Amino acid sequence: MAALALLPAAGEAIYFRDKISWRSAIAPSEMITVEQARGWGDTAIWVDARPDDEFASDHVPGAISLNEDRWNELLPPFLAVWVPGKKIVVYCSSLSCNASREVARRLRKEAQLSDVFVLEGGWEAWLKKNR
Amino acid sequence: MKTPLLAFTLSMIMCLGARAQLKWEQTSIELHPAATDKQAIGHFKYENTGKTPVHFKSVHASCGCTTAQTQKEEVPPGDKGEITATFNIGDRTGIQIKTVTVETDETPNQKTVLTLKAEIPQQLEVTPNFVFWKQGDMPDTKTIKVKVGKEFKVKHIKVTSSTPDFQTKVEEAGNGQFKIDVKPQDTNKVVASMLTIQAEDSQKVFYATARVTNAPTAPVAPVGPTAPARPSAPAGQTH
Repeated sequence: MAALALLPAAGEAIYFRDKISWRSAIAPSEMITVEQARGWGDTAIWVDARPDDEFASDHVPGAISLNEDRWNELLPPFLAVWVPGKKIVVYCSSLSCNASREVARRLRKEAQLSDVFVLEGGWEAWLKKNR
Repeated sequence: MKTPLLAFTLSMIMCLGARAQLKWEQTSIELHPAATDKQAIGHFKYENTGKTPVHFKSVHASCGCTTAQTQKEEVPPGDKGEITATFNIGDRTGIQIKTVTVETDETPNQKTVLTLKAEIPQQLEVTPNFVFWKQGDMPDTKTIKVKVGKEFKVKHIKVTSSTPDFQTKVEEAGNGQFKIDVKPQDTNKVVASMLTIQAEDSQKVFYATARVTNAPTAPVAPVGPTAPARPSAPAGQTH
């Protein structure tokens, strides 16, 4: 009986496995691991897409805060330090978070910057590898 | 033969009855906030149609920009209530989909996903909002396109540069679009300017940045994936 009751849910989970509606689509080539990003050294700019309070609490050393709560205010200071040829690594707070994908998408579309990557595993992945 | 079939049907009905205690009026809400709104609020109403109280175990929003509040921890049988989901719009634009996951004790791991969809109107879409020249480049004109949102009517826009290092010229392109030509006075020195873009009779301000950058960093050996394809550059945009 229980197995029978689970059938619709299982079917839905299989059918919608690649259609998580709250996530922006992102190509695998635009994702980056902590190791790869660290390998870029000073040629990468780290962008923290988390809310202000989380950034204030702790962040990747040298990271610049750029979130959608205050996008219009935070974008110019970021653009002031960006240099052609630098790679941009955007992160947010967890695996299910969408903020870094959205910030990366807007940097590509609105500012028309290239070499914008999203950090796999976000802030937690960085913490795990660095602390 | 009839008895097992009847027992099966009855047990199915009992299972369904026991499962669906909290009945949601709707689990998906579409909101159309005004351009000046700071928040979009969705009210997800429910009723306990079962015979036992339902307890909320957790209510979790999908992003930090959304909060969700329950009116009560316990919902007695026959009682009604709502979960209020508040989405702080901030500087977000376009279609935003936020979810709230509600866990109750109806059945083990009983979770309901409430979806809040908000379409944020944008008066002006500025693309690109960043134009730059490398130090020593030819001081060519670069163009920023401004598209008026379909809900708005704008006849003129005003553009102001925060420094005299860049000249700007606005041109109407028709069909609710404008072109802003930006030209640096001199690309031999590193300068930056904030361009303020405003529709006539509107308080809302949009920004673009113009900059002459210093020399690019030396390339390093690739250790990561290749760069994603760059979107097509607007007229006059050479990087």
